[in-house]
Amino acid sequence: MTIAEVTPTGLTAVRPADRARRRRLLAFRGSARCSLLGRALPATGTFALAAALLGVGALPVIDPELVLAGLATAFLASGTAGLIDRTAATRSGALLVPSAHLAAVALLCAGTASPAVLFLLLGPVLALITAPGRRGVPVAVLGTAAALLVPGLLASAPAVGLSGALLLGPAVVGLAGLAVNDTSRRLARQAARIAGLEGERATLLAQVQTRADELDQATRMLAARAQTMTSVIDAVTEQSIIGTDRDGVIRVWNPGAERMLGLPRLDVVRKRSIVEFHLPEELAEVAEEAGTAPGLAALVHAAIERGSDVRDWTYVAGDGQRRTVAVAVTPRTDDRGVHAGWNFVGTDMTEARATERMKDQFVSLISHELRTPLSSILGYLELVMDPDSEPLTDEQRQYLTTVERNAQRLLRLVGDLLFTAQVEAGRFTLQPEDVDLAGVVRAAEETIRVTAANAGVKVAVDVPDGGLVVPGDAVRLGQACDNLISNAVKFTPAGGRVDLSLRAAWRTTDGDLSDDERPGAEPVALLAVRDTGMGIPAGEQGRMFTRFFRASTAQRNAVPGVGLGLSITKAITTAHGGTLDLESAEGAGTTFTMVLPRA
Amino acid sequence: MDDVLRGPVGPAPHSRPGAGPPRVLVADDEDDIRALVCLAVAKAGATVVSAVHDGTAALAAARAEVPDLAVLDVSMPGATGLEVCIALRDDPATAGVRVLLLSAGASVDDVARGLAAGADAYLAKPFQVSSLVRQVRSLTVEQPA
Repeated sequence: MTIAEVTPTGLTAVRPADRARRRRLLAFRGSARCSLLGRALPATGTFALAAALLGVGALPVIDPELVLAGLATAFLASGTAGLIDRTAATRSGALLVPSAHLAAVALLCAGTASPAVLFLLLGPVLALITAPGRRGVPVAVLGTAAALLVPGLLASAPAVGLSGALLLGPAVVGLAGLAVNDTSRRLARQAARIAGLEGERATLLAQVQTRADELDQATRMLAARAQTMTSVIDAVTEQSIIGTDRDGVIRVWNPGAERMLGLPRLDVVRKRSIVEFHLPEELAEVAEEAGTAPGLAALVHAAIERGSDVRDWTYVAGDGQRRTVAVAVTPRTDDRGVHAGWNFVGTDMTEARATERMKDQFVSLISHELRTPLSSILGYLELVMDPDSEPLTDEQRQYLTTVERNAQRLLRLVGDLLFTAQVEAGRFTLQPEDVDLAGVVRAAEETIRVTAANAGVKVAVDVPDGGLVVPGDAVRLGQACDNLISNAVKFTPAGGRVDLSLRAAWRTTDGDLSDDERPGAEPVALLAVRDTGMGIPAGEQGRMFTRFFRASTAQRNAVPGVGLGLSITKAITTAHGGTLDLESAEGAGTTFTMVLPRA
Repeated sequence: MDDVLRGPVGPAPHSRPGAGPPRVLVADDEDDIRALVCLAVAKAGATVVSAVHDGTAALAAARAEVPDLAVLDVSMPGATGLEVCIALRDDPATAGVRVLLLSAGASVDDVARGLAAGADAYLAKPFQVSSLVRQVRSLTVEQPA
């Protein structure tokens, strides 16, 4: 039997039929545990009727005192029943009150000498034989016998015959009492069992109600989460979010997908496959490379192997237009963790890829169009200044040296721009080998030595005699050291000093540097380039590694440069797994610290 | 620093004792660069047998003259230096011609592409004339058998 059910909203409802059954059970249980007053009511009613009959003369009054005593006893007992109900003496009162009523019947019988009064026996006798336990039956027999016998003792004429008083009445009362008592007790036991079952049922009902409440709460939470997810997905208008089942049939199609592919949700969900929005030849090509079947397998094979996959795909929109889309493919599971399909989150890269192509073309153009004329300038300069050629005057040589220096400067600028473009495009590669960083630092010092001397800046070098080897790209590391050292000289006024210090050190996992080896610490090479130059304002130090940023001190002092050297040096250091930091005080100088992992 | 990167160098079949100075083909679409390369070739003691300004003419000249060395610019009209190099290697008559590529592309990928096409050496622009002279001498000298 279903006693409760979950409604569509998750609420629990109890059927009306069950409510009626519950009311009947409660009523029966109430009757089995009836109060003394309730039990005394039938007898009290009959006494009231007798009093009324006596009042109107329907019953004879032989001895008014006995009649009054009988009625007083009867109503006093009924009143007492009400009082006993409020005390704990209910069990003993169940026999006392009917017994008192029997005594009242005896007095009335004696006072009226009328057999009709004997109908008053019915109430107390019933109360006694239905009282809890078996004691009520003998009490009823004895009470009945007494009620029949006493009038004969008190009055001149007995109300009933002796035989009726002593034998027939008590016998009838006894037999009927036993039967009624037995039935009453059986009914009481059944009522108790039913009451117990009812209690269990109420407990179960409460548990069902609790579970229903929990289910309702969980249902509401799930609905809220689903609504949240839906609203989030629908809020994404710049990315396409497409969910499919395991066969690639589309189940989720967000507004971003509608916008990107030009088809409304209703035209796609459960009707189209994700494969239909891809170029068949592109899928076939990927399938051939991956050794998978064409179609959906080509789309998801990498996500199956690695858990996710991001790459460019060509989407074909509803109007046939092609879009280059960076698509992230991930598997989707259901609430039991079972694979249920695939998610495809796409970002339209059509414009970005076109811009990248333009940038590549621009870089290529710059590379060719600037380096080619520089080749001519530098090549012919070299021929003119060749000692084997016609001798030059000192003045001519000085002019041509200036031309060559500026051509080299232009060449470095072109190189820096190209390198920056490569870093930005992620096409910056290293040629790793073992590099003696001490040699690189010495070479950089040699390169800058003449310039520093002309500027009146002293350069001191302190590197390990035995060298210090790091894994890296010798050309790029040389470029980084050249940048740091030439910067230090450039920003130090005449009379200043630049110290180059290279030493072995160890770097702990939390980044601390130590000159002593520590357990778990990584061996590193530490290059410090310290100058006594103009320094960098504190507010600008965080931007020093940004492309094209120049410190205000550099601009105030007309130090030449375009602001690429430090960003390039930082990129090179980072690509080698190292760090580059600076400490500076305006007017006091700057220290750049490069830390590179050692071999 | 020498900007030259070399590929595998084999014997120069056309350099024979008593056969005169090495014969060099020069191809570059920039007149100034082409003239500069010719000067460097002369300084290296070699002879320029042909100086052309595009890839198609370079390939034709190479097949006609079969020089000891071809100095090719990578970016040329008609056919790129890489395409000319591959064509020379594919033709048995010219497969032994040494090839030196000149290019404004100086990246590792650029060099790798050049060597993969079959070039014997790769020189990035702008180059030092002295480096080019050394390379011409090196690539045209007869290798020991």
